[in-house]
Amino acid sequence: MNRSRERFIDNRFLQLALGCYVIFWIALAIRPLDRSDWFLENLLVLATVSVLIPTYRRFQLSNLSYALILVFLAFHAVGAHYTYAKVPAGFWLMDWLHLKRNHYDRVIHFAFGLLLLYPVRELLIRSAGAKRSWAPWLAAAVLWALSSFFEILEAIIAQIVRPDLGTAYLGTQGDVWDAQKDMAAAFIGAIIVALWLMLRQRHTMPWSKAAFV
Amino acid sequence: MSRQNKFIAVLFALCAVFWVLAAIHPFDRQAWLLENILLVLFVLALSLTYRRLQLSNASHIFIALFVILHIIGAHYTYAKMPLGLWAKHFFGFSRNHLDRIAHFGFGFFLAFPVRELLLRFSGIQRAWSFRLPPAIILAISGFFEILESIVAETVAPGKGVEWLGGQGDEWDAQNDMLAALLGAFVMMAAVRLITRKGTQR
Repeated sequence: MNRSRERFIDNRFLQLALGCYVIFWIALAIRPLDRSDWFLENLLVLATVSVLIPTYRRFQLSNLSYALILVFLAFHAVGAHYTYAKVPAGFWLMDWLHLKRNHYDRVIHFAFGLLLLYPVRELLIRSAGAKRSWAPWLAAAVLWALSSFFEILEAIIAQIVRPDLGTAYLGTQGDVWDAQKDMAAAFIGAIIVALWLMLRQRHTMPWSKAAFV
Repeated sequence: MSRQNKFIAVLFALCAVFWVLAAIHPFDRQAWLLENILLVLFVLALSLTYRRLQLSNASHIFIALFVILHIIGAHYTYAKMPLGLWAKHFFGFSRNHLDRIAHFGFGFFLAFPVRELLLRFSGIQRAWSFRLPPAIILAISGFFEILESIVAETVAPGKGVEWLGGQGDEWDAQNDMLAALLGAFVMMAAVRLITRKGTQR
């Protein structure tokens, strides 16, 4: 648990991962479908980066955690470029499974739970001192809470920006249970990884140094 | 019977009296039954685990208060609770806000026992014991909203939101969750203030 801290200059893996993300992000920052929506979506990236960079020296997560966060942000960058409702991959999914709407946003909510459980668990074990048996489930609770909090935040923003449009502003496409389905997607994503971590805990696995086991 | 067991027995009896009174002629028997499924599961789980959990008297009082709040709400199907209707007329609200108060109460009353359980069993540090209970309350609240939506679609497909007692609020789920979160925050702030002065247990 007490791995020696690695300076960013020496951390080749993180340099590479961050470099890939930045190039990807710049490519998608060029002519997004809707610039103001792109700005709004990127507030999330700004918030994440402004937490992770200053804390790097004081509290360094494992490289696997950083990689998972970057993968999530890369998925998000795609959504931000296409205002989520118009992501091409979502349209393929729509044709392929005969869905009524572009489900890329649901996929991202699912990925939120799936990809971020591991980093949050690491934070809870190392910073909060949570027991290993408790940590995956506490992490799941934190992600469920963040997912619910995001829905609340969305509702508040929608009511401030366009009170006349109501839920339609959020691109619910007429689905009254949109918020619940988004949350359920994140819940399921988080549960899958929490279960996996719980079952895996029984065995000691020789993991690479990148991972925080 | 130990002193604490006596205390729990008194609280349980008090809740039972309320429950029996509220079970007589509820406004809507079907809604009452539905609301009581959760209550029965909750009380059952608690009575099976209370020996192992060793919650404090304060926690048991808060749990009992929440249970009583829910019993009263279930009797009046929340939307028709007289006090809430009175507030609706008096303040000119568009709806009966008793359900919001119940959600607030959920966060407020249950954040305390949740914190106690975390401190006792999960190994987390004191600083985190104020952050995680609101997260757990919000997580349960979100889970409850999902559960509600599934039940509503099953029982009354098509008119789900109204059937749930949204009373015309399209942000009902979000407002409910916000109420629970605020309740948990208020309780955590209070606990923090009180425990700072006194000696730490």
